[in-house]
Amino acid sequence: MDNLEQKPKEPAAGPPGGPGGCADCGGEAVHGPQSTVHSPQSTVHSPQSTAQGPQSTVQSPQSTVHNQGAPGGCTACGGEGGQSEGKALGRRLLRSRPWVQAGFAGLWLAPVGQWLHGIPGCVFHCYSCPLSALACPVGVLANYAALLPVAPEMPYLLLGVLLVVAAVSGSLACGWACPFGFLQDLLGKLTPRKIALPAWTGHIRYAVLLGLVILLPVVLGYKGIRFDEQTVSICRLCPAGALEAGLPYSVQGLLTGHGWVMSGFKSGLLLAFVAAALFIHRPWCRLFCPLGGLLALFNRVSLFHLRFNPKECVECNLCRSRCSMGVKVDQKVNVSGCIRCLECTTCGAIEPRFATPKG
Amino acid sequence: MLGRVQQPPVNPALRDLERHDFWAGFAAVLVGLVLVVCGARHLTSIETVEGGTAWETQLMKAFSAGGLQFPEQLVPAPPPKGDDPAALERWAKQNSQYSAPTWKVRVDAGATTPCPT
Repeated sequence: MDNLEQKPKEPAAGPPGGPGGCADCGGEAVHGPQSTVHSPQSTVHSPQSTAQGPQSTVQSPQSTVHNQGAPGGCTACGGEGGQSEGKALGRRLLRSRPWVQAGFAGLWLAPVGQWLHGIPGCVFHCYSCPLSALACPVGVLANYAALLPVAPEMPYLLLGVLLVVAAVSGSLACGWACPFGFLQDLLGKLTPRKIALPAWTGHIRYAVLLGLVILLPVVLGYKGIRFDEQTVSICRLCPAGALEAGLPYSVQGLLTGHGWVMSGFKSGLLLAFVAAALFIHRPWCRLFCPLGGLLALFNRVSLFHLRFNPKECVECNLCRSRCSMGVKVDQKVNVSGCIRCLECTTCGAIEPRFATPKG
Repeated sequence: MLGRVQQPPVNPALRDLERHDFWAGFAAVLVGLVLVVCGARHLTSIETVEGGTAWETQLMKAFSAGGLQFPEQLVPAPPPKGDDPAALERWAKQNSQYSAPTWKVRVDAGATTPCPT
């Protein structure tokens, strides 16, 4: 079970452990890395000790007992009963995220035809999908790369759109606007336990970006193979393409008597992706998504960012426990592995900010 | 009981605050906006089927709709087999105007192939 991680439940608006539960720290009666009162770094909440007041709060350098019902509130979590501005904002954002994701999915899947396919989107979404509104930036980049030997062109519009989105919000689009990420989030909710991935696996995305999206189409293009004839390409290996284009056209083929038009390989790829999404949180985003990797490079300089507030930190480690992407939030938060889902902001010590000239 | 991932003890005092400089992000946004405007008004060097050169937006749309045409796709069909002189004459008439294209790739802005790959 060492390589399994279980995501903490979403804190409810009120104390979920009952009337005396700790709302600030996630609301469970007992939690902590070791779940033991006197073990190092352990944090134990005691919602039942309300009647004993402040005396029931035990604090040592390594262990903390939270007592939300005490007159002073939960001393370990800030003592305000979860009503501080940062925490409240974090919870509001967390509650609204699925709705925002659904709204963006509706935007990308708007049945407006293909007339907007000349404009690249900023999320991973197959432009061969019958309902796609905008062009897939990854597919467009690979096509430009394959075209390089024949007609070298610079994708100004694509670079501009991605640069604006990345410089304004970093990888915020991954966590809030990507329809493929939303789908993986939904699939991930079906199984509570997830396999933890080592941090280095996030670098595979850059290998995909350089190798599969840029270099391979160029090399095959120089060999005279057009992009749509390249048997190995990002579009042929893309699970989003299998799901959003291959699956609808295959269903249509079945209905019209043409049979299953998607290749066996791509069908298998789709099944493997769905299975992986059940046991790994956002497997495509974490392992292979070249667009997410590109946007996340700007997390360190983007105008929208996350800021750590040491005054609010009570060392409860809730920020890191809530991070389903495996980011070591307790060390640095504006890193390339972050999709800016803002789940870590529920602890109150990490705040979403927008950079201003005044700092 | 709620399980949590194992993690080292944190020290808020030693932690990087990760302050963000506004001007770096702002400069990147400005560069991006310039690229967007230039890209939207950019005429590529690729011809269109109708004549003229393709806008960048037309080229991108062609990627998703199978709208790229290459010379090898327009090679005339081989002569019909058999001894039918009428068919041979028809074939010769159809291909009398054919000459090897001078372009390497061109854009068919009206293409609507749903999935080129």
